[in-house]
Amino acid sequence: MGTRERRERSDQIDGELSTLFHDALSRLDITENNIALTAVGGYGRGELSPGSDLDILLLHAGLSPEKLKEFVNAFLYPLWSTNRKVDYSLRTKSETLTAAQDDIKVTLGLLDIRHICGNANLTDDVASSALEQWQKEYKKNLPKLRASLDERHERAGELAYLLEPDLKEARGGLRDINSLRALARLDVIEVALDRVAAAESILMNVRDALHETSQRERDQLLFTEQDKVAALLNYADADVLMLEVAKSARAVDYTASRTWDRIDRLERRSIFKRSRPVGVAKGLVAFDGELAIDEAYEIESDPALGLRAAAIAAQRGLHLTVDACVDMASQLRDLPTPWPRQSREDLVTLIGAGEHMIETFEALDQEGLIARWIPEWSHVRFLPQRNVLHRHTVDRHMLETAFRAVALTRKVHRPDLLLIAALFHDIGKGFPNKDHSDYGEELIQPLARRMGFDEEDVETLALMVKHHLLLSAVATRRDLDDPQTIAFVLAFIKDAQTLELLHALSIADGEATGTTAWSKWKAGLVQDLVNRCLAAMSGIAPAPQLELTPEQVEMAESGELRVLLTKRDENFVIEIISPDRTGLLSMVAAVLSISRLDVRSARTRTIGSSAVMTWLVALDAYAPEPTQEGLHSLLAKAFDREIDINKRIEERINNYRKYPGIPTAPPVVIATNDLATNATVVEVRTHDKPGVLFNVSRTISKFGVDIRAAIVATLGAEAFDTLYVTDLQGNALSEEKAKILANQVENYLLTL
Amino acid sequence: MKLITAIIKPFKLDDVKTALNAAGITGMTVSEASGFGRQRGHTEVYRGAEYTVDLVPKVRLEVLVDSADVDSVIETIVKAASTGSIGDGKVWATTVDHIVRVRTGERGVDAI
Repeated sequence: MGTRERRERSDQIDGELSTLFHDALSRLDITENNIALTAVGGYGRGELSPGSDLDILLLHAGLSPEKLKEFVNAFLYPLWSTNRKVDYSLRTKSETLTAAQDDIKVTLGLLDIRHICGNANLTDDVASSALEQWQKEYKKNLPKLRASLDERHERAGELAYLLEPDLKEARGGLRDINSLRALARLDVIEVALDRVAAAESILMNVRDALHETSQRERDQLLFTEQDKVAALLNYADADVLMLEVAKSARAVDYTASRTWDRIDRLERRSIFKRSRPVGVAKGLVAFDGELAIDEAYEIESDPALGLRAAAIAAQRGLHLTVDACVDMASQLRDLPTPWPRQSREDLVTLIGAGEHMIETFEALDQEGLIARWIPEWSHVRFLPQRNVLHRHTVDRHMLETAFRAVALTRKVHRPDLLLIAALFHDIGKGFPNKDHSDYGEELIQPLARRMGFDEEDVETLALMVKHHLLLSAVATRRDLDDPQTIAFVLAFIKDAQTLELLHALSIADGEATGTTAWSKWKAGLVQDLVNRCLAAMSGIAPAPQLELTPEQVEMAESGELRVLLTKRDENFVIEIISPDRTGLLSMVAAVLSISRLDVRSARTRTIGSSAVMTWLVALDAYAPEPTQEGLHSLLAKAFDREIDINKRIEERINNYRKYPGIPTAPPVVIATNDLATNATVVEVRTHDKPGVLFNVSRTISKFGVDIRAAIVATLGAEAFDTLYVTDLQGNALSEEKAKILANQVENYLLTL
Repeated sequence: MKLITAIIKPFKLDDVKTALNAAGITGMTVSEASGFGRQRGHTEVYRGAEYTVDLVPKVRLEVLVDSADVDSVIETIVKAASTGSIGDGKVWATTVDHIVRVRTGERGVDAI
């Protein structure tokens, strides 16, 4: 199995074809001047796998159709009786070049044309014309090539992450190497073919062995063949084989991505001037759909840059430039332990970006950045799983699960925990003699602590990882009518909020695995189990209200506006005590927003005729640092209507709209009456944007009700706001009125 | 020759499989099914909202047996699948005219 064997096989076939060719010529009395036999594609490169088709092209100088028909019959007939499959075409030079113009595959095949016998001048002429045509018309051809690659990748998936991949067609496979070779022949950009040479040899050998073991030209490496192929190529076992295949595919895919990246840049430069880079966050600039690091920025000074870049790239649908990844890999310092809050939120934001997350994550992973932040990830990288239910390697399965979890973020109270658990639920896989759920629990705890989650969250994450299969297992194997079954689940999962998270994780995990693992039937059983458990629980308590300190109560009684600003790590804590007034929350939210302070969390509460608020805010990139006096005076002006808040906040929202975004799940607003507080609790779950809190609170105030308290949380890119509202007499709203209010807020959010 | 079809509660599948294996039956087809019999759909109350579960999830199990074994196999299944409560399912047998084992071409009882 190797290049030499492929070459020998090719040489041998050359000889056989030559003999048949000359026999046919002499029998039909055709001179060699008028015809040439050539090989194209892989056979053209002199590399034949055991079961490959013979791609041949017969070039002729205008022989009559009758004569040609006679010749083809005489030449190919003996071949058809053997088992070799022959794929032939019969063309003049001009027919060949026209066919190449119409079909990009013909073009690529011709770039490898090789003379076998007959008139060599005919072959040389077509070879040089085809190359010339490829180089001359590349601007027309490249989009075609790209479209055909995209279509193929879409159909065949990614070689590195599929458990039964197609070695030729999948992304990172042999056809991609051919495309790279063709791009190299353009002579307009440098193509690092040397970076894929080793990968090509491995993939070719695996393919040869597959042809050998399966006794046919099949390029899909099925489970049933993997052991045999591994044995034939002397790999320790099929897992080692698949790991080598995955690594090779990644090398090919990475080189291909970089090459296309270069072509794109070249194209842009030649068509129009590059757009001016726009600063989008500290140290980061966006231009032409890409996110790069500001040239003047000191990467070494800012360990949080990496996850910030990832979060912004994924959320805005920008491509992280290769240079950015390479530079960060060499210069970025390690994150401190525990991570700063912002980095943790950036990771959640990255995961929450759905489709774009996978691309961004891959780019970082290829440069080894993910493994630096999360060393546990290295073990599951490309890890195959020999299980008929699964389609993907362990790492890719977890990314797919996270992707599915994004759609479920509105169904849970803690979208951040759902996303993190989804990304790491199988982190314990690949350790022999260890149950992956149990070991996953052991691994996630220190990991979550390093990320800076508090102990309660660490416990929830550990429970989710440990029990991620619990609901499906119980729903399909235990009697749901038996109270014991419900008691069994409740023994592990104590509260409805955790159950809700675990349910969402089960759905995401199941959907990512595939329809065999997650049918509607199974989903129905799990839903039934969850409903029964929820019925046995006491329900979910809304977020608790702010506890006031005696100092705060005392200050509240003074009836004056007080602002206290303190710095905490990268963020600011702002304490505001103010006489209560209609629309207070929206005014304060607006003032913070126009001061370019992003609200990360807040708790507010009305006491007597005053309101007490604590805000945790982050400063926008390039915004000036806030001062206590500045905020105080801005608030006072806003209260006295000396500044037009509405106008200024509209400006800011419109400014944000200019940035491209990604599709996000629609907002969900739920209103329920809470007996304990005699108020209506409005829960707002939405994608975070500037002005969300302002608009939500303004809509509620306009509805003619009071906001007694608010608990605001930003979890990555998701906002989860809980507002306690009452009518002007201080009572909870009627059920009907609460529903109308929830609808109005939801509809308003949809227009943002 | 008979085809025995059993509709059982999903969680009873493992018990039925074990019982059939113990009775010497090793091959069977299992599929996800849903439906209702006298049990009808049941109404659930969840967070105040009432909703009806029309179709109840079940497992459908099929076994080919020699006519002589029909009664004992049915009994084995019924015993293993029973919980005594409503919705335990049903078992029935139908006559089969031809059976061919695809790999070897064996026919009739030999192909069971």
